[in-house]
Amino acid sequence: MTTETDPRATRPRGLRILIAGTGGQGVVLAARLLTAYFVRRGHRVVSGQLHGMAQRGGSVQSTVVVDGGSSPGLRRGSADLVVGFEPVETARAIPFMAPDAVVFMNTAPVMPYVLSQQYVHGRKDAAYPDVRGLAASIREATPQLCAFDATELARKAGSARSLNMVMLGCLIGSGCLGVGPEDFQETVLATAPSRLAERNQRAFLAGVAVGRGERHTENR
Amino acid sequence: MTESARHEVLRDEPGAAVCLLGNLAIVRGALEAGVQFVSGYPGTPASEVGDTFARIARDADVLFEYSVNEKIAVEIAFAASLAGARSLCSMKHLGLNYAGDPISTLPYVGVEGGLVIVSAGDPSAITSPNEQDQRHFTRFLYYPIFDPSTPDDAHRMTRTAFSLSEATRLPVILRPTTRVCHVGGMVELGPLPATRNTVRFTKNPARYVPIPVNARRMRTELIERYAQAEALLAESGFFPRAGTGRHGIVASGAAHAYLPEVIEALGVEERVSRLQIGAYPIPARVLADFLDSVDAVLVLEELTPFVEDWVTLAAHRQGRLLPIHGKRTGLLPEAFEYSPELVEDAVRAFLGLDQRVVRPVPAPELPPRPPVLCPGCPHRTSFFRVRRVFGKNTVYTNDIGCYTLGYGEPLHACDTLLCMGSSISQASGIARATGKRTVAFIGDSTFFHSGLAALANAVRQNDAITVCILNNFVTAMTGFQPSFTTDPTDGLGPAAASVRALSLERAVRGLGVDDVWSVDPFEETPTLAALRAARTGAGVNVVILSAPCAVEGKRGGRREPRPPFAIDPERCNACSLCVRTLGCPAIVVADGRYAIDPALCDGCALCAHVCQQDAIHPVPEDDDRN
Repeated sequence: MTTETDPRATRPRGLRILIAGTGGQGVVLAARLLTAYFVRRGHRVVSGQLHGMAQRGGSVQSTVVVDGGSSPGLRRGSADLVVGFEPVETARAIPFMAPDAVVFMNTAPVMPYVLSQQYVHGRKDAAYPDVRGLAASIREATPQLCAFDATELARKAGSARSLNMVMLGCLIGSGCLGVGPEDFQETVLATAPSRLAERNQRAFLAGVAVGRGERHTENR
Repeated sequence: MTESARHEVLRDEPGAAVCLLGNLAIVRGALEAGVQFVSGYPGTPASEVGDTFARIARDADVLFEYSVNEKIAVEIAFAASLAGARSLCSMKHLGLNYAGDPISTLPYVGVEGGLVIVSAGDPSAITSPNEQDQRHFTRFLYYPIFDPSTPDDAHRMTRTAFSLSEATRLPVILRPTTRVCHVGGMVELGPLPATRNTVRFTKNPARYVPIPVNARRMRTELIERYAQAEALLAESGFFPRAGTGRHGIVASGAAHAYLPEVIEALGVEERVSRLQIGAYPIPARVLADFLDSVDAVLVLEELTPFVEDWVTLAAHRQGRLLPIHGKRTGLLPEAFEYSPELVEDAVRAFLGLDQRVVRPVPAPELPPRPPVLCPGCPHRTSFFRVRRVFGKNTVYTNDIGCYTLGYGEPLHACDTLLCMGSSISQASGIARATGKRTVAFIGDSTFFHSGLAALANAVRQNDAITVCILNNFVTAMTGFQPSFTTDPTDGLGPAAASVRALSLERAVRGLGVDDVWSVDPFEETPTLAALRAARTGAGVNVVILSAPCAVEGKRGGRREPRPPFAIDPERCNACSLCVRTLGCPAIVVADGRYAIDPALCDGCALCAHVCQQDAIHPVPEDDDRN
C-alpha cells in the first residue's frame, strides 16, 4: 500500500458545495434551497454546518453534499464549489477548497465587531484585511475565483437582504451545477412568499448574469 | 389547510425519500411510532425537536408543552406514559442531569406507554459549558440508549425506541450529537399510524409506588428487563457490519458517519471490516462474533472511551488477546469532536499506512467573529446601567442564556457561571462569605427553570444580594421559544395559545422578597433609581428589567421598529467611549473614524446617551435604510 500523494486521487464521489458567511446573511437558507432542489431532482443530499453560531453575528459554514455518502463534515481540500457571502469568511474556507475548486466571493465586507474593540484598546493596526489580498490568497489555493460586489447588486434589486439570492444566482448561472436558472426558479424559488418573490427574482437574475459572465467583475 | 399541516414531518407519503434535519427526523420517527404526549425544555442542539412539536401539535393530535425545566418535563411525560400514552421528552445533555432525581428511579417503576427521552450531546461544547457523555447512563441507571450516526439512524431508532420501551417497560434514551441533530440527511418516510395506544390510568399501587418493599422487587426485575433489552437490541439491526478484512473498526455516532468516505478514499475496503455500535447495552453476541473475525481492533467514538472499554471487557471475557486501539492507547483524543481528518489519520495509523499528505494552502490572518449581544439588545442597556450604579468592584454572578455574553470586554457583567439557576446561589455564597452585596444576573426562562428555589434559599438566609432578572419575554439563546413570561397571544407557536403568562413580580414577592422594582431598562431615570435603592438596601432585593428581545420583539411585532442612529463626523472627536463601554456590533471603527452601520442599528439610543459630544442622532425618517 502506498500513500496517494496526489490529492485528486483521494477525491471522493459526489459534489461538495460549501457556503460561507456570517449570521444573518442567509447562508443557511441558501443551503436549504439547494438541498430542496437536488432532493426534488432525485439526488441524495447531506447538508450540515461545519461550525458556527448562526445567530449573534458569528461565522457560518453550511455544506451541501450531493450523492456523496453520509459524512456530515467535509474533508480538507474536498469542496468543489465555495460560495462566499463575505470576503473574510470566504478566506476562512480556504483549507476546505479542492485544488480546482470554483469560488464565488462577495467583495463587500461585514466588519467583525472585534476589530473595533481591538482598535479602541490600543491595537491601532486592527483593520479589515485588504480584500484584494484575500482574493490573492484564495487564488493561490485555486485559480478559479469569481469576485464581485454582490451586496451592491442585491441592493439594486431591492434590498441587501437578497444577498443570498444573488449568490445562488451566480452559482447557478456559472453552469457549475449543470442546473438551468429557469429550472431552479420554478422548482424552489416559486415557493417564497409573494411579497418577496419579485425582489428575490430580480436579485437571483442579477447573480445569474454575473455567473454567466455577462456582467463585468473586478477580479475575474 | 393550516401552516403546520403542510409541515414536512407530517407528509403522508410512505416510501418517499426526503432530506430531514436530524431533529426533524426524530420528530418524524416519533410520529410514525404514534407518539401522543411530548414535553421538553429548549436546549441546543435539541431545540428543533420541541420547536417542531410546538408547531404541529394540534394537527398531529399530540399534547405538547414546553415545561418549566427538564425535571418537570420528565415527570410529566412519565406520568402520561403510566396512563398508557406513548411519550417523548426532549432536552440537551445537561438537562438530563437536572432531571437526575426522577430518571434514577424511573426505570425501577417502569413505563406503560413507551417513553423516549431525547438528550442531545454536544461534543466540543459548542453551545454548552461542558461536553458530558450521557452514554454512561446505560450501565449507571439501566437505560437502553440509542446512539445515531445520521438523521436516517435517528429516524429509525426513535421509531424502534418506543416499541423497545414498551416491550421491556424501560424508558429509553436517544442520544444524538450536534452532527446528527443539525445535519440534513436522507430519510425514507414510513407510514403514519392509523391507531394509537388507548390512554387510561389503571390503579396499581404495588406497581407504581417504589416504597422500599416494592423497590427491592423492582430492583431484581430491573436487571432482568435490562437483559431483555440487550436480547432485543441484538435483533434490532442497529449493529450493521460491512467488509471482511481482518482489521476490525468499531465505530459509533458521527465518527461512524465519517468512516465510509475515509475507507473509500484510502482504497482499503478489502483490508477492514467495520461494525457500527448503534445502541447500548452492546449485545454480547454482536461483539463476540465481530471479535472472532478480526485480528486487531480500532475503536472510533467521540468523548469518553466508552465503547472501547466495553470492547476490551468483551475480548477479555472471550479470552481473546488482541490489540485494541483508541483513546486508551493514545491514538485518538478523549476531548472534543472528531473530524474526517482525525478519523483518516487513525485509520492510516491502524493499517500501517503512511501519514496523510497535507497540501500547503495560504493561511491569511483573519479576524475572529465571536458571538456578541445583538444591536438593541436590552441586556446591554441593563448591564450598562447596573455597572454604572454598582461599580467595577461588585461581584457579578451570571447564568445560562444570551446574557452570558456580558462576559469580558467591555461589559464585564459575568464574573462567575456554573449551570442553570446558579447565579442566585453563587451570589448568596459570595455575599455571605465576603460580607459584600453581590449582584446576580438571570433571565426570565432560567429564573423559572431553577432560580426560584435559589431565591427562596437566599430569602431564608437574608443574604445581601441583588437579583437582576433580565426579562425579555422569550427563551432567546436556543431559538426564541416561549418563556413563562411570554404573552400566549404573541403567537410563538400554536401550543403557546393554551397557556398563560406568569408574573415575575408576583412570584418574587410570593417567595418573601419585599423590595422589588419592575422597570424598563431603556427608561433611564426609574431604572437608576431602582438600582440605587437596591444597592443601599438590606437583605435580598430584586430588580426586574423587562424589555422585549431586540430580535424577537421586532419580528413578533411586539414593538415598533425604531429609526437607526448615525454619528455626525463633525461632532465626533473619536474619544472611543461608545465602543469602549457598550460593545455594540453596529458601531464600526475604520481608519480611526467612527460610524454606525444603519443596516445593523436597532435604534436603542444607548450610544447616543453615552456620547459626551452629542454626536449621535437618529437618522431622519425619509432616509433609505438599505
